Amino acid sequence: MPASLLKFFVTVSPMAGKHARVIRSATPWLFLAPAVFVYSMFLVGPMLFTLYTSFYEWDGLSDTMIYVGLRNYIDILFNDEVSQLALRNNLLWTAGAVTIPTLLGLLLAVGLNSVSPVKKLLRTLYYMPAVLPLISVGLIWGWMYNPHFGVINVFLRAVGLEQWAGGWLSSYSMALPATFITYVWSHVGFPMMLYLAGLQAIPREQYEAARIDGAGLWSTFRNITLPGLAETHVIVLSLAVFNGFRVFDLIYTMTYGGPGRSTHVLGTWMYFQTFQYYEAGYGAALSWVIAAIVLVVAIPYIRRMSRD
Amino acid sequence: MIASGRERGFMMVSNILLIIFAIVWLMPFVTILLSATRTQGDLISNGVFSIPKSIRWENFVDAWNTGGFTDYFKNSLLLILFKVPLGILIASLAAYPLAKMQFRGRGLIFIFFLIGLAVPVQVTLQPLLVMMKDLGIANSLAALVPPYLAFGLPFQIFVMRGFFRLLPNELLEAARVDGASNTAIFFKIMLPLSLPALATLAIIDTLATWNEFLIALVLISGKASRTVPVGLLQFQGEFSSQYTLLMAGVLISILPVLAVFVFLQKYFVAGLTGGVKG
Repeated sequence: MPASLLKFFVTVSPMAGKHARVIRSATPWLFLAPAVFVYSMFLVGPMLFTLYTSFYEWDGLSDTMIYVGLRNYIDILFNDEVSQLALRNNLLWTAGAVTIPTLLGLLLAVGLNSVSPVKKLLRTLYYMPAVLPLISVGLIWGWMYNPHFGVINVFLRAVGLEQWAGGWLSSYSMALPATFITYVWSHVGFPMMLYLAGLQAIPREQYEAARIDGAGLWSTFRNITLPGLAETHVIVLSLAVFNGFRVFDLIYTMTYGGPGRSTHVLGTWMYFQTFQYYEAGYGAALSWVIAAIVLVVAIPYIRRMSRD
Repeated sequence: MIASGRERGFMMVSNILLIIFAIVWLMPFVTILLSATRTQGDLISNGVFSIPKSIRWENFVDAWNTGGFTDYFKNSLLLILFKVPLGILIASLAAYPLAKMQFRGRGLIFIFFLIGLAVPVQVTLQPLLVMMKDLGIANSLAALVPPYLAFGLPFQIFVMRGFFRLLPNELLEAARVDGASNTAIFFKIMLPLSLPALATLAIIDTLATWNEFLIALVLISGKASRTVPVGLLQFQGEFSSQYTLLMAGVLISILPVLAVFVFLQKYFVAGLTGGVKG
């Protein structure tokens, strides 16, 4: 809407008694309208439509939809072995995502929390992988894991650990952990930055007081740093769950769900079901399993973010 | 500051570890550089870690041309030029009443937007594809704009609301006394004073738009409308065993984001952490 038109509709409302100003006109809603429209139309609407189709058997193209009630959900949880495996992979992945990058990010933040130029450079280096497209990251690591010429096997052979060298991404036992290492590489930077910001919010006086009391490094870390980061932990851990559960790009590029179907997560399995096997109803149910889990975990996070 | 000998020793060890670990962290970048700048024969017979016999810059030209990166870059840049300013404008418009006006439903509508932070893309894909087909824009760049806008809004509204709240109310009151409308206040006071936040959001959103893969994968199938990540994956499918060419292509895809990050990281990091801290 052009500014002049907007102005035409918008009125400045008078002060409403002593309750500051509660605006009764349409003004706030006119400013909100474009966002509400786009967000409802292209995010919330599709989401609800998916909830609806998850109770049907549907190929995603034709007009024939057969109501099946909860069958898709029951199949996901009890009958489809790949779904169960994908869910298990998701849970393992998320458990890893919540602990490993978080812990590394915290250690890096504590180690690099200083104004020295060297540490500033190191912060940039550690954060760099986090800004890359995950598709590029997947291709880089796919090449590094190459069984014949990849740097990892070349390195292992060079240091005499030949028996460890192998086809990382084609091995049933190693493909998921190998992909997860890539995830760690690209997801350490973000928690590190959040923790650095959290560290800067802890008052310096607390550290000085601890020093005067003769507290050592460890006790200072445990009694001042960790409690001071309580707020940051909520954010970092919530984001780790969101990202861990929504993982798609890396698995899609690095293993494509293989070998066999062993590295599928719900996100990739949903994509295969919907867009390759044309089981849109089943795919919809899979996507709602991801959504439901993430949304439940998100409740404390959203409550905190919405606080005034 | 006084530090005991033991503490100083600990600090030194930790600094050394931080540097060694940083070198390990850089290895993937070194790998791409050493793979992309030589001949395939040299790479295969001498290994990644050997010094290239000669630097072969032509790999980048070859990758660019055979991969058709001109189209992908054009598409991604067009998308960014159109989507990023539009999204930030819509988000700022919404953030203004959420930050500075009292009205019924304000808390609820804010939570309504925040829920979007947790929504996985997958849960919207199939209906989006159907919608874009009905609108006749499936397979064109235009199909990506609405979902990209929608998924960007929650974070952007959150950040802009937080920033607007920091602007003093007296400023708005004074403008009102002078007879300024809300529209004038928004465009002439709020937006100009929010340039740092707007710049941060623009950078974050530029990177996110450049990197987005799944929505583009589903909504775009023709070559002409592919964005860089989808195009790169296609390129990989065709040249998966031409390692030098492939890594040249990967380097082409990451150089713009690395440049944006390295040169503009001041804004980037400040807003990112400030935004999430609230």
